[in-house]
Amino acid sequence: MSESQKSYKVRKLEELLRNKKLPRQVVGSLVGCIHCGMCHESCHYALSSPDDPRMTPSYKADQIRKLFKRYRDWTGRVFPWWVGAHTPLTDEDLERLKDIAFGTCTNCRRCTFNCPMGVDTATLNRLMRGLLTSVGVMPEGVRVVSKDQWEIGNQMGVLKEDFLDTLEWMSEELAEELGHDRAAIPVDKQGSKVVYAINPREAKYDPRTIKSAALIFYAAGESWTMASEGWDQTNFGLFSGDDQLGGAAGRRVFDKVAELGGERLVISECGHGYRSTRCEAPNWAGVTVPFVMESSVMTMLRYIKEGRIKVDKTKNSARVTYHDSCNLARSCGFYEEPRELLRLVTTDFQEMHPNRTENYCCTGGGGAMSMSEYAPRRLKSGRVKADQIAATGAKIVVTSCHNCVDGLGDVIKHYKLDCQVKQLVDLVAEALVLDEPKPAEEAPQVAVTAAAGAAAQRDGRSLTGRRILVVDDEEDARTFLSMVLEDAGASIFQAADGAEAIRVALKERPDLITLDLSMPGKDGIETFTELRRTPQIAQIQVCIITGHPEFRKLIYDRPVAPPEGYMNKPVKAEDLVANVRRILELEKRRA
Amino acid sequence: MPQHEPSSLLATVEAVHWMALAFMGTVYALRLWWLFRFGRASDRSAPGNPAQSTALRGGLYSLGNVVMPWAMESTRKPKGLAFYATFVIFHLGVVAGISLAFLSSLDRALVAGPAAAWTLGTALAAAFLVALYRIARRVLRPVLRLISTPDDYFSLAMLTVWFLLGVCAQAHVAGAARFAGDAYLIAFLLATSFFLVYVPFSKISHYLYYPFTRYWIGRTLGHRGSYPYSRS
Ligand code: SF4
Ligand code: SF4
Repeated sequence: MSESQKSYKVRKLEELLRNKKLPRQVVGSLVGCIHCGMCHESCHYALSSPDDPRMTPSYKADQIRKLFKRYRDWTGRVFPWWVGAHTPLTDEDLERLKDIAFGTCTNCRRCTFNCPMGVDTATLNRLMRGLLTSVGVMPEGVRVVSKDQWEIGNQMGVLKEDFLDTLEWMSEELAEELGHDRAAIPVDKQGSKVVYAINPREAKYDPRTIKSAALIFYAAGESWTMASEGWDQTNFGLFSGDDQLGGAAGRRVFDKVAELGGERLVISECGHGYRSTRCEAPNWAGVTVPFVMESSVMTMLRYIKEGRIKVDKTKNSARVTYHDSCNLARSCGFYEEPRELLRLVTTDFQEMHPNRTENYCCTGGGGAMSMSEYAPRRLKSGRVKADQIAATGAKIVVTSCHNCVDGLGDVIKHYKLDCQVKQLVDLVAEALVLDEPKPAEEAPQVAVTAAAGAAAQRDGRSLTGRRILVVDDEEDARTFLSMVLEDAGASIFQAADGAEAIRVALKERPDLITLDLSMPGKDGIETFTELRRTPQIAQIQVCIITGHPEFRKLIYDRPVAPPEGYMNKPVKAEDLVANVRRILELEKRRA
Repeated sequence: MPQHEPSSLLATVEAVHWMALAFMGTVYALRLWWLFRFGRASDRSAPGNPAQSTALRGGLYSLGNVVMPWAMESTRKPKGLAFYATFVIFHLGVVAGISLAFLSSLDRALVAGPAAAWTLGTALAAAFLVALYRIARRVLRPVLRLISTPDDYFSLAMLTVWFLLGVCAQAHVAGAARFAGDAYLIAFLLATSFFLVYVPFSKISHYLYYPFTRYWIGRTLGHRGSYPYSRS
């Protein structure tokens, strides 16, 4: 095939690259590689696939380098073969580039720190992603998430009413726990000093972190608010390489803080959210931000140091280790403060090695969690992280990043490690000591644990009156899920396969179905589609519970309304109850 | 200009290699002009962690990285440290070869003495051995084969030959290989001329970009507070 037969997308990509304004720092990385191979062993993909040379960082960066040489560097135009200049010709070639840029690199920047020439491979990979995205070549998950961020204003498509309902629900729970409503989450409160922005994952899957943060703000006596819009501090532009999306998402948050008259934007624990909002979005959006932006870790640390909140570290006595998010450590220099805070709220901190700017990626960076097609390779690359974690002997891996929570969670499950992942906000809330009596109690000082432990206690019989159908072919799993939900007060029906699930659903009309995906006969995906297509039971809330995160894409690809919840096995009892409650609570409010 | 009395062929070759140097300088100037035509990206974000680092500190540390093998994991671990040693030997060989080429035509006596002869000769010989190792490494390791371009192979082969010719030329200049007349020196200077003309178009021009790429990445990460490296 000759160059004249290039596909439309290839020609478009070529035009974009020819006209793209490239900063000289990036050009330096494009021309500076000497192919020495020194970066090879810094990459978790390369380390976990020693037989696959394509995992080496310079090979990945060479994909954009070849294009740059072909279109922008005269040596490549005069002697293309000699210097390795090359251009794709077909859409299949672009798909191959997509698999490399999105499926073999998490843009973690570890190789950048190990290149003697100062080549920033991660930035080059992002550049490649951006060009591909511009011509519509990207993984489906990236497309969906980017679309939601453009159109709905947050990357998980959380609707405004659902978001506000979730905040209200968390406020009610706080009121229940504290016996008053003074800790309620303020929304759009003009003139608040602090505006708190979160990751949509918190609103959609685990709002307890929002409640923990609210409790801490309340305990510190902070003047704070959340925004009803422009609250998403994450930014898929960082992952897709789309600077326009990056700028737009950043501006949304900045404008909202300015509109509310906030003096400080506090960004909940999220590595890519912090990096993109705090460090990159001002550049993408071309604005100088007039207010302070900080991670909630800094905020919590300051509160403790200033004596605004009191903590009792003995509340967290299990051995913990800390995982540095790549975006925080390598791209934002943020690694000492989380450790300082961790030492204040836990008693047994064990450092993970290597750490800080040399830490390995959790495997979930660069948007990898939204690209289920690459999950097997991602999990394979997790061996490096699994070995790191196992060596610490920790029962809890703490991280300051939501992406890392998911990435590490998958690694822990895949490599069968005996530990769990938590964020600092959870531990601070666990250790928090409130100087106020709890309702109906006279004790002068009561420790309030607002995260998982307390949630499990409080959730006690919180599902009373609810009817739930548990669908799973494995008896053990079915029994466990049923027992936990029953203990929480729900009436349980069970089904061991898809056909039975449909029958029971039609007969019993439960409020919610927990659905396994991998089942013999009619599998969970088919069952889910049929549920949604059967008018009598189409409205039943569904929470997928699966041991195959790679199936996530399949279920969301169905041309029917998506499930209301999604959990990865193994599930913890408290998480199960909390998620089911969340789904049912939101449904009740909508009704 | 040359103070010894060269044969007319040697005089011509010496003149050619000065011209080659001028050519290289001109092309390098053009390449730098090309690089600097790309705009500078300034970071609008507030300094990431001024207590840890600044753009200037990061930039300067990054420039010094070349003499700090303990800084990067890739040069700190035993395998990397060994490769770093070969890097040092290889580049000392380049310095020795360039010195020999130009000093021999400026004042041959400067490189004819035993001290200079042994220093330059040893550096060139060691670099030659390292270059052979590097060829083997590039040919045998699948990762390097995958990323190597024809230019990568050719540049390395060219330098290997150049180092060898340098050893012979140095021996000749020191009076050890008189039977060959000026042949070794002529061959070495011709190779140097070719080398000078070729490098601006090849990967060897990395040393032109090197100070900039290192400084820029150091500044970028220093501004964010993540550079110099941190680990425990
Ligand atoms: S990116 Fe750096 S370390 Fe990797 S091959 Fe290129 S020059 Fe060597
Ligand atoms: S940025 Fe990270 S994942 Fe990507 S090539 Fe470099 S080390 Fe590997």
